[in-house]
Amino acid sequence: MAQHRVVVVGGGLAGLASTMKLAELGVDVDLISLTPVKRSHSVCAQGGINSCNDQTRQLGDSEWKHFDDTVYGGDFLNHQPPVKEMAFWAPKVIDLMDRLGVPFNRTGEGFIDRRRFGGTLYKRTAFAGATTGQQLLYALDEQVRRQQAEGRVKKYEFWDFLGPMVDEDGRCRGVVAQDMVSMEIRALPADAVVVATGGCGLIYGRSTMSVFCTGSAVSRCFQSGAKYANGEFIQVHPTAIPGSDKLRLMSESARGEGGRVWVPKKPHDVRAPQEIPDKERYYFLEERYPEYGNLVPRDIATREIFDVCVNDGLSVDENRMCVYLDLTHIPAAELDRKLGGILEIYEKFQGVDPRVEPMKIFPAVHYSMGGLWADYVKNADGGLLAGAPRNHMTNIEGLYAIGECDYHYHGANRLGANSLLSCIFTGIFTGSSILNYAQGQSKGHADVSSSLIESAVAAQTQRHDDLLTSHSGYDENPYLIHQELGDLMTRVATVVRRNDQLTEAIEKVNDLHERAMRVSLSDTGQWTNQNVIFAKSVQDMFPLAKTILKGALQRDECRGAHFKPEFQKQSLTSDDPQERRRQAEQWCDEFEANNRRYLKSTVAEWNAAESTPELTYEDVDTSSIPPRPRLYGLVGAEVIEEVWNERAKAAQEKEAVAASH
Amino acid sequence: MSVSVTPETSFWLRHEFAIRRLHSLLGIVPLGLYMVIHLLTNASLLNGPETFQRSVYLIHSPGKLLPLIEWGFIFAPLIFHAVLGVWIARTGRSNASQYHYANNQRYSWQRWTGFIALVYLFFHILHLHGWFHAELYLELARQLGFATFRPYNAASTLVAAMQGYVWPAFYLVGVMACVYHLANGLWTAGITWGLWISPQAQERASKLCLVLGIGLAIVGASAWWAAVSPGEEEIEQWVEVENRMYDVATEAGLVTPNPEKRLESAEEEVPDEVEVRITVTD
Amino acid sequence: MIALEPNAKSRPDFITVRVRRQDGPGKHPYWETHRVEYEPELNVISVLQRIAANATTADGKKVAPVAWDCGCLEEVCGSCTMQINGRVRQSCSALVDKLLDESGDEIVLEPMSKFPVLRDLLVDRQRLFRALTRVKAWVPVDSYYDMGAGERQLRSAQEQNYPLSQCMSCGCCVEACPQYTKIELPRLDQESDEAYERRKLEAYDEAFVGPHAISQAMLFNNHPTGKALASERVDALTGPGGIQACGNAQNCVSVCPKEIPLTTSIARAGRAATVQMIKKWFEK
Ligand SMILES: Cc1cc2nc3c(=O)[nH]c(=O)nc-3n(C[C@H](O)[C@H](O)[C@H](O)COP(=O)(O)OP(=O)(O)OC[C@H]3O[C@@H](n4cnc5c(N)ncnc54)[C@H](O)[C@@H]3O)c2cc1C
Ligand code: HEM
Ligand code: HEM
Ligand code: SF4
Ligand code: F3S
Ligand code: FES
Repeated sequence: MAQHRVVVVGGGLAGLASTMKLAELGVDVDLISLTPVKRSHSVCAQGGINSCNDQTRQLGDSEWKHFDDTVYGGDFLNHQPPVKEMAFWAPKVIDLMDRLGVPFNRTGEGFIDRRRFGGTLYKRTAFAGATTGQQLLYALDEQVRRQQAEGRVKKYEFWDFLGPMVDEDGRCRGVVAQDMVSMEIRALPADAVVVATGGCGLIYGRSTMSVFCTGSAVSRCFQSGAKYANGEFIQVHPTAIPGSDKLRLMSESARGEGGRVWVPKKPHDVRAPQEIPDKERYYFLEERYPEYGNLVPRDIATREIFDVCVNDGLSVDENRMCVYLDLTHIPAAELDRKLGGILEIYEKFQGVDPRVEPMKIFPAVHYSMGGLWADYVKNADGGLLAGAPRNHMTNIEGLYAIGECDYHYHGANRLGANSLLSCIFTGIFTGSSILNYAQGQSKGHADVSSSLIESAVAAQTQRHDDLLTSHSGYDENPYLIHQELGDLMTRVATVVRRNDQLTEAIEKVNDLHERAMRVSLSDTGQWTNQNVIFAKSVQDMFPLAKTILKGALQRDECRGAHFKPEFQKQSLTSDDPQERRRQAEQWCDEFEANNRRYLKSTVAEWNAAESTPELTYEDVDTSSIPPRPRLYGLVGAEVIEEVWNERAKAAQEKEAVAASH
Repeated sequence: MSVSVTPETSFWLRHEFAIRRLHSLLGIVPLGLYMVIHLLTNASLLNGPETFQRSVYLIHSPGKLLPLIEWGFIFAPLIFHAVLGVWIARTGRSNASQYHYANNQRYSWQRWTGFIALVYLFFHILHLHGWFHAELYLELARQLGFATFRPYNAASTLVAAMQGYVWPAFYLVGVMACVYHLANGLWTAGITWGLWISPQAQERASKLCLVLGIGLAIVGASAWWAAVSPGEEEIEQWVEVENRMYDVATEAGLVTPNPEKRLESAEEEVPDEVEVRITVTD
Repeated sequence: MIALEPNAKSRPDFITVRVRRQDGPGKHPYWETHRVEYEPELNVISVLQRIAANATTADGKKVAPVAWDCGCLEEVCGSCTMQINGRVRQSCSALVDKLLDESGDEIVLEPMSKFPVLRDLLVDRQRLFRALTRVKAWVPVDSYYDMGAGERQLRSAQEQNYPLSQCMSCGCCVEACPQYTKIELPRLDQESDEAYERRKLEAYDEAFVGPHAISQAMLFNNHPTGKALASERVDALTGPGGIQACGNAQNCVSVCPKEIPLTTSIARAGRAATVQMIKKWFEK
């Protein structure tokens, strides 16, 4: 058997899981990462990782229910076969991570402890203190280090992936990458390439993500012809700590333990928060949602905070959006006992004690559900066919996408603690697929033509050198461009989206993109030039930014994280039972019509000539769980549900009859 | 390419661990133990020259074996510990001026007191003991004012050697440095050997070593005071006491007569018959 | 009022930031002064971001932006270690307001001193990771297939291991350790990348592993499967550059941003070595 060689780009959970598995299968792996893999963004995840488990099973839970919750949470935009496979693999993934030494919290008897997370009724979430992502990543990092010591893996850390190397048959034959220290540009030929480069939060300037999450790698694949799907679905977390460099996550449990959200009634009141009397405070969540108060679900809290700041102009700070999250009415001892860890984070980074002064918080971009379009092969049970070479292969043959930068699993909205799972699952599951693909090829890494290598390296060298050369009229500062892009994207394409704003923003982003191509760098040296690396990544943010905006503009509906007030489905208005029933029927008709039109993946292809994405729409595989309405907080939800259930039953019967013929 | 590297390590590197553990062990036994006994012995002078002389007789009872014991159990370990100590101290780059943590200061002081001990012990042993017992050498050393201690005139020669200001000051610094070095060394050795592990245990051990250090400092200070406070008058009186004790002790066969261990002036008074008897006891 | 009130303190309009720069390995370091407009809630990362965007010194000279490393910006990734006002720490959690309280209106930034400088504040910390290989800091599982759950572990074991497992390889501990000294090998003439790499690793493998690696060794020696390599790890720790190089300065534990009980691990390693030494004597 010929020795196979695969390049894995990205050393987060997904990339490391993939590397580990491929190395076990006997494949040589070149692992490329912007940063030492142990520092990848996955370390930031705090909450946990989901799986159905022995305990929940006895309460009626099952893998199927995990599958169902995920799809329901994602508003049915998830591709069901991969999600199903993932849900059924989840317990195995946790078992494996347990064996690899992840210090999961334990019950008194020594079993893995579980907690409950959003979007489910079961305690599915395994966690390791408040640093689950870090612990999972380290366990994988250790195994990869072990494989590296055995010579199976070679790491290229502090290397920037510049693009896939695609041959004349459209097959990916390796990558071109750049050493960020010596600035050497080199081609790494491979039998297959796996992209596992995570999210793209930096397009929004500041987010809860790491500085590595520029989306540049994905964008470079996109610009090389790979398709990008569901770009417009960006998850925004309601409570983050606004910082001048990053928006750090503030866990939901602060509200769970009685935290109250408010703003001063007087805009930008200059008084210290403690000095503002109760009657001059606007507890907007409690007033607007008397029933749920501060514990409304994530997306609603997010939208309301946004609304109060942007539309009502009641932000606490004048030049920055934020509201108070107040815990000061709870005794400090109780706070320390229940929320110690997270309060320390706030104290550490804000220098303010949240036990005496209300915290300032604001929603922040948190996760991108969309990503590189990739294929899969369905099996007879409605899951994935193990080992099929096309699993997770993008439309460029031999180029795979896994982890946060794929698009299948989280639909329109990701459930908490499902992402770590999807990353590890895709990394492990695709191992045999990639190996099978490599084995099926007559040509591998050893016989990539030198002309292909030379031209690929030359193209990147040209781009690099060009950026370092001064051109007349080129005077843009990449840092300022990035700031402008981030501000714009945050304003129009996060929580609430409006078509007029989106249309306007597209113009502005086109303009900014042109300016970004005319940057002038303050460092033109050939040694550890972070300036040029950053400039490239800023330039590469634009194709994705444009895809997000265009996708959002064209999707005239509300689905998951994508919210357009104009197209919000209305509550039932009538009190008369019969009329109410009629309205419910109509509501369901509209729902079905909307699904026929919009229950589709947005698939973008980059048109380099026009410098714009071209969108098409692709059906979503909903074969296992038919879509149903999410009725949270809607007036008349019971009636709609009743009508919907009757319809679903009728449809089922019809199908059964059709099947028996 | 496999990343594992198997360098050809030198003998030193391969056995560094064992050598360092030996260094640590020798610091405690025999050196630490010796120092405790030694200081106690010297402090016994406070009780008068008789007590001190008795202790010295006891120490010197092995007679001709003594140099062997000295070299085997004290000088050799000391030199080993000292040479290695200097080497160890040089492997570190003390940064106590940058990081002011108490334990870091202690670390630095362990090194400084080591160096002080080195200088102190070299001169201390030269000063009183003289290092070697070759006749020719001793003569020279004595002319230079070294090897001044005569075990059979223990108190008087010791006190005589400690007159003035220079030696007493030198001794005070040296003794205190040694005390710190041992007390703190015990604490670090406990970590090195894995005796105290948790921060709480280390804290407790630290207190224990502090108490031990203070105790030893008191003993050391007493020894020092006992040696430096008496004047000419006491010396004269004590020489007589010692000579009397010598006569009796040799009579009883408790002491191996050895002129080198006595003051020249005392030696002249020794009656001849005594020497005959010595040959018998030998 | 009890709460920290940034507005109440008088702050300068501008902060002076002195940066120790170095253009590349082997080049001469030099100092450069930058001025950054004061804002509340700044941290050192945001100061550096502003310096990068401006790229102009206090006296108006255009310069290349200062190179530095950062990632998570929330003190979990370990990227952003540097010496700030003479003390090693993470720059993302170094708040300007607190620094100003310490030192007036000047902030001094220097690269770590125990690693070769690549450029400015960016250093090569490969040796930190190499140390993890030396102590085999992993669980030697048979395979990555589904083999059912791992062994049950008592809560007390988890509680002992979890703190150790939070080590983010930032290097603060080794930077502050007086026994950890810099290894920087100049490249020889015509030396190939691979030969150089090899020479570097050899040098790293003989030098002090560092408290973080000792702690990782203890972490895995306390894992039901990790134990399988326990004696190999102790062998590594008693080999060249092992625990014997520690001089119990205990700075490591004082500066560790994750408050990892490093000195406890060192003492545990010391005990394991003692036990193993005795065992070996009597088993041979
Ligand atoms: C604050 C926060 C908390 C979270 N909490 C949870 C949680 O509790 N549960 C949960 O399930 N999910 C959580 N998530 C989401 C989850 O952490 C991420 O989705 C997941 O870690 C992504 O992993 P990944 O392997 O896909 O990518 P990443 O971990 O982002 O890794 C990307 C890798 O790609 C490399 N890379 C990127 N670009 C390039 C390039 N151009 N060249 C070379 N290499 C490149 C990087 O260096 C890195 O190694 C959270 C996210 C955030 C922001
Ligand atoms: C003569 C010069 C001496 C020098 C240069 C010296 C130097 C040192 C040094 C550098 C250490 C630290 C070793 C380490 O941390 O690994 C040390 C430890 C120690 N020394 Fe000395 N020393 C000297 C004399 C003595 C003497 C006379 C004693 C006994 C009284 C002594 C007892 C100890 C002890 C008990 C330790 C602790 C060992 C450990 O931590 O494991 N030393 N010495
Ligand atoms: C006030 C304090 C001290 C006094 C009065 C003192 C006195 C003496 C005397 C009188 C001798 C000569 C013994 C002989 O030759 O038989 C001697 C030897 C010696 N002393 Fe001290 N000493 C003091 C402190 C110390 C300390 C702190 C140490 C450290 C370990 C030390 C180590 C030694 C050694 C190693 C010898 C030589 C060994 C021998 O042959 O006895 N002394 N000291
Ligand atoms: S032990 Fe602490 S200081 Fe050392 S590398 Fe780990 S986290 Fe950093
Ligand atoms: S600072 Fe260094 S000397 Fe030992 S106790 Fe820590 S490793
Ligand atoms: S940037 Fe991650 S620790 Fe500071």
